[in-house]
Amino acid sequence: MSTPRKGTRVSADTLRFTFDGRPVTGQVGDTAASALLAAGVRAMGRSVKYRRLRGVMTAGPEEPNALLTVGAAPAIVPNVPATQLKLTNDMVLETQNRWPGLRFDLTALLQLGSSYFGAGFYYKTFILPKWRFWEGLIRRLAGLGKAPGRCDLPAPSWEHAHCDVLVAGAGPAGLAAALSAARNGARVVLAEREPLVGGELEFEAATIEGRNAGEWTCAALGELSRLGARVLTDTTLVGGSTGEMVLHTEPAGMAGAARMIKIRPISLVVATGAVERLIAFVDNDRPGVFLLGAAERYLARYGVRVGQRVVLFANHDRVYLSAARLAAGGMTIAAIIDTRASAAQSPEARRVAAELAARGTVCLVAHAVLAAKGRSCVKAAVIAPIANSTLTQDIACDAILVSGGWGPAIHASLQEGGSKRYEDTLGAFVSTDSPHWRVTAGSAQGAMELGATLRQGVEAGVAAAAQAGHRGPMAAVPAASGDPTPHLQPFWRSPADEQQEKTQFVDPQNDVSVADLRVTLAEGFIDIEHVKRYTALGFGTDQAKFGGQLGAAIVAELLGEPVPSVGTSRLRPPFHPVTLRSLAGHRVGAQLRPARVTPLHDWHVANNAEMEAMGLWLRPRYYRANGGNPTDAGIVEAGRVRTKGGIVDGSTLGKIEVAGPDAAAFLDAMYLSKASTIKVGRSKYMVNLREDGMVLDDGIVLRLAEDRFLATVSTGHTDHMVSHFEHYRETEWANARLTLTDVTDAWAVIVVAGPESRAVLASLLGSQWQETLARLRHMDFACGHHAGRELTVLRASFSGELAFELHCRPAIARELWDGLVGAGLAPYGLEALDILRLEKGYLVSSELNGQTTPFDLGMDGLVALGNPCVGRDLLEREAFHAPHRGRLVGVRACDGKSRFLGGAQLTEDAVTAVSVGFITSSAYSPAVGEWIGLALVSREVALGKMLYVRDPLRGDNTTVNVVSPVHYDPKSDRMKS
Amino acid sequence: MSRLVCPFCGPRELREFEFHKTLPNGGDTPFERVYLRVDSLTLSVEHWQHLHGCRGWLHVERNPSTGEVLLTRLARIGAAS
Repeated sequence: MSTPRKGTRVSADTLRFTFDGRPVTGQVGDTAASALLAAGVRAMGRSVKYRRLRGVMTAGPEEPNALLTVGAAPAIVPNVPATQLKLTNDMVLETQNRWPGLRFDLTALLQLGSSYFGAGFYYKTFILPKWRFWEGLIRRLAGLGKAPGRCDLPAPSWEHAHCDVLVAGAGPAGLAAALSAARNGARVVLAEREPLVGGELEFEAATIEGRNAGEWTCAALGELSRLGARVLTDTTLVGGSTGEMVLHTEPAGMAGAARMIKIRPISLVVATGAVERLIAFVDNDRPGVFLLGAAERYLARYGVRVGQRVVLFANHDRVYLSAARLAAGGMTIAAIIDTRASAAQSPEARRVAAELAARGTVCLVAHAVLAAKGRSCVKAAVIAPIANSTLTQDIACDAILVSGGWGPAIHASLQEGGSKRYEDTLGAFVSTDSPHWRVTAGSAQGAMELGATLRQGVEAGVAAAAQAGHRGPMAAVPAASGDPTPHLQPFWRSPADEQQEKTQFVDPQNDVSVADLRVTLAEGFIDIEHVKRYTALGFGTDQAKFGGQLGAAIVAELLGEPVPSVGTSRLRPPFHPVTLRSLAGHRVGAQLRPARVTPLHDWHVANNAEMEAMGLWLRPRYYRANGGNPTDAGIVEAGRVRTKGGIVDGSTLGKIEVAGPDAAAFLDAMYLSKASTIKVGRSKYMVNLREDGMVLDDGIVLRLAEDRFLATVSTGHTDHMVSHFEHYRETEWANARLTLTDVTDAWAVIVVAGPESRAVLASLLGSQWQETLARLRHMDFACGHHAGRELTVLRASFSGELAFELHCRPAIARELWDGLVGAGLAPYGLEALDILRLEKGYLVSSELNGQTTPFDLGMDGLVALGNPCVGRDLLEREAFHAPHRGRLVGVRACDGKSRFLGGAQLTEDAVTAVSVGFITSSAYSPAVGEWIGLALVSREVALGKMLYVRDPLRGDNTTVNVVSPVHYDPKSDRMKS
Repeated sequence: MSRLVCPFCGPRELREFEFHKTLPNGGDTPFERVYLRVDSLTLSVEHWQHLHGCRGWLHVERNPSTGEVLLTRLARIGAAS
């Protein structure tokens, strides 16, 4: 084993992992990319479309190529950038987009025909016989990585935090901003994407305030800690809206133990730095082509030399300083190819260039790298003068290090207001017109020299603190010296003839080349947003960070327009990939939302009830003892209620107590009919309207005392109805003497229905209730006690049978229930409840669907009472009385046996497409002995008419007769018995 | 607009509140009151409920162009008597 590498991030301890099944050794602190590069691995994947062999190009989250699948199936995490992934022992890594192996890939044969695979290829080619025919095949080939079979990621935590100033990015600008804001008294949170702070100071031979950059950084961190600032590393500002920012912490560099922080800063400093750019040249995607900054990072952090003999290709002065550092790290600089017409501008760069030239480095200006040679690994750079690109020469090398300048990372500066402005000297966009709460500073704002970066940082920090109310003097800007101004001249692509443009890549992750851009423009997609969608430029995990600006600039060149008039496609959050699991947090599965259960819930579960969710409530749908499916069990349960009797848990029924001297008048306004005419001890079926006249809800209102009512509302409507009442009380009835209390949970409800109900109750409740039970007429109620607790018995029926609602305190619900079961009354569920109400033509949400008027539902009589209530004013609208409006009717199959289902359309003949109505609900009725239904049918269709049921998707096509909505016991003799 | 200031509870996260409606400003007939709104670029007058808090009803005026909340008060103050 060779001696361990030395770098700022790696220790000498080794760790082992596997890469495509092969054991590889790395060092503690390595990323997957650094360990693989150190082990001599260049190829780390194949491209998504052409299956070209690809290596790592960057050292950051913008990595386009080296995306790995981590873990063994099925617990895999795909598309993890090797540049971000922190290695651990025994980690299992697999390359993507290859089959059967990375070296020999069958679909790479596609490369042979690659000239036919340009932008829009799939859509143009796979038209016949139809796209869907090809889709399966194409989907197998397409896409990055494989989706894991199941989600085994741990639940991420969500933290909610507040601060005065959030600083995104802890490079020199971010540190200066955080320091000056904290010194002025602001509560500061500093979030840094990398595992340690300092940004470029990690590499630059800089001095600040007379100290070297590392010492200054340490001192800054110490002071921030003393001032109470919170510094978060491995933490990226991924998005935000309306003043809330979302920070994403992923210390492992992959989906897993993520932490999300939702933070509400008063002001935001964006100091997110800049992303280095590629230059387009032929075969610039070959393994061995790196961004220059990445090569520096691998050397400084991990002690990895990405090549032994390298060619540098750039358009600015920094390349000379970088070259000196790489040479000092033991790399041979074969050549520096500078695209600018004249040599290095700054004295420092000129001095370094001269030293390198003296040591044998070829330094050329006004030249460009035209192409990379070597298929699986770079072997040489083909160079030529830009003015005469036929004069080529090859320079042997094993890596080409490219730097086309830097694009400020302005993602966070363009959300929620703010626009961008093109800066010629950078060949890049910077943000402008920021809202008052956001400042952008440092290289994110185009500062390319340390002094300017620090000054912007200090100014931003002071301004952001002042915005949060912490005003203070402008702090002194630290004196600093670092790398000189780059004197960049934008250069986007090397000369090439049109045939060669196919491999001048601008966005390697999506295999977008200059040729694709040319085709796209030729086909008329000239807007950059259209170019993006036609080519996939800027799609994928790096979201345009790598190739977006380069592609847009080349589009400008091909169109003959200036770069700013083409612009760039819109940058959207998240800044880097965040798993849906992370966003969901703990809100999955049973934690998705709370469940509300009744006091009898445990009994239902213990007695094998199939529970059904209604809003947050869980209610028994049927009891499995009565049948294997809801239909069969429902028929058994409903049939038993009519012959003998049954009980149902009605506790979920909404109950609102309305009390006070003005309660009666208030309820008069809330309901279509008057509550003030109800006598104490009596109840009434009542209907609410919305202000537009549609029926909102229905229920029974009990008058408990002169000034006290209990309004019952539908289970699923309770929350809304409480708010509805409260809104009127707080606005139009603001001065009324009135209280509203939601007492839904204070009362359990057991409905006892059926011919035996009175007798069973009489024996269960004992002598004190005998007289009451005998006395209660339909819609009477009585309040009393049972077992020392309050009990209200209401004689009302939703089944058409003699029935009593027991409103009892939850403490005695179970005892009453057990007693009723013991007395031989079997429980029934929602299925049976629905059959019973349907037999009687009673309404549920299928009919009270928000689109029905009182007239539609046959409540003309209630309207005629003339009570001036909410919604009344609009009842006389013409459209409410149009002849084609639906009216509630019953339907029965003409043959007396066919099934029909809710939702089916009704027509007047078998062929017409004009519907005259639809079925709202249906069920098989054991009492009637056939399928029965309710329907909303045009007023023009008379009772007795035959209609066609048209239900093509479910196939239940039959004919029905229009009948009365009351299918059973039309005179309600049973209920009143 | 990430927060509303509830007169009872102070500044609270928006998710605690539920939007109810934009107040009518399109005329006085019943139809106009229900259906007509004059949209303004700079002023929207709304009712919100602090549903997951004190349940108070709020009168909120905000600038829909910027999201800035201009005024928050209890709906019952100034309501019809």
